[in-house]
Amino acid sequence: MTFSSLLLLFFGGIVVGTMGAMLGLGGGVFLVPFLALVFGLPMHQAIATSILAVIATSSAGAAMNVERHIVNLRLGMVLEIATVIGAIFGGVSANLLSGPVLAKIFAALLLSVSCMMIWGTRHRGPDGTTFQNGAFPGSYKDEATGTVVTYTVKRVPFAMLVSLVAGNISGLLGVGGGIFKVPAMHMISGVPIKAATATSNFMIGVTAAASAFIYFAHGHMNPLIAAPAALGVLSGSFFGVSINRRIRGDALAWVFAVVLLLISLRMFWR
Amino acid sequence: MGDSQQHYVERWISRALRIGVWSSAALMIAGLLVVWISGSTPAMPSENPSPGELFSQLFSSSVNGVTLMFSGLVLLMLTPFLRVLTAAVGFLAEKDVKFVVVSCVVFCMLLGELIFSLR
Repeated sequence: MTFSSLLLLFFGGIVVGTMGAMLGLGGGVFLVPFLALVFGLPMHQAIATSILAVIATSSAGAAMNVERHIVNLRLGMVLEIATVIGAIFGGVSANLLSGPVLAKIFAALLLSVSCMMIWGTRHRGPDGTTFQNGAFPGSYKDEATGTVVTYTVKRVPFAMLVSLVAGNISGLLGVGGGIFKVPAMHMISGVPIKAATATSNFMIGVTAAASAFIYFAHGHMNPLIAAPAALGVLSGSFFGVSINRRIRGDALAWVFAVVLLLISLRMFWR
Repeated sequence: MGDSQQHYVERWISRALRIGVWSSAALMIAGLLVVWISGSTPAMPSENPSPGELFSQLFSSSVNGVTLMFSGLVLLMLTPFLRVLTAAVGFLAEKDVKFVVVSCVVFCMLLGELIFSLR
């Protein structure tokens, strides 16, 4: 591998990390196709690299959100039991499947993420239906409004079930799975969207670690690829978050939904 | 449970995550710089080194860019382990037994996956 390839991986990582963070999706959704389609990397190596990038971005983001008390620590720890079980099974089954099969499953995931993004722009439900008599009480100061938001969590078993599936997808395909967990925690369990996003992001580092060593043991982690890509995605995630604070809009979601749809088709006929 | 105690736990978890991420990033950056300065990418080992082998190579004279990057990656993979362990200690300090157990269950599953994978 030449040094220019390392630079391309690093700068490619910055671009996909920025795109992922702008949409609150994490880097994996764009990093795996980038590595598989642009670099021609085998699917297992692309997924293993993405898992490392997910650990880096989750840990860096969680370090800030835990200190600002936006993460519901106890809820996150309980749901991690489910995500870790799901991720271990996902990691084991990914290593039993062939690359082309994984690419097709990944294409199906991108298709569903794309549909969920379009659905999200058209069905924006009332925000802030919080419950006060559930489990895992949490409170944080909303910096946008200056108010203290207090809430409790309803329907924890359902949130655990969704976390199990999200963990499985994480181990199988190397993405965080927040696209499924965040709406479930917010709409079904009554966790405010900021707390749901932060708690999901807090969990995905541990979830990704649950399958990381499985990929490592199978020799799918190439440091010459994973190190520059993970550093790039980590840097990109900081840019993406700061851009995200300034730009919001359905147009952006539509553009990326179409991009994901095209990537999905390309992965399917890879 | 005192509010200040909870802040103490959260501060420690946050610190554990920062230490893990930035030290692993520093190792990976150092590895990339070594590769850049030496002008050639060293050959990949035929088999993945174990974390123990990496640790001994890291402090030997034969350390190269790939070893540094590999060590950074392993440290990154171990950061969530450190985070869960810190949470367990934090909940113990709060005398919140239920969540000490929850943290220990998560930690044991991670450790089981690590041992099962590297055996």
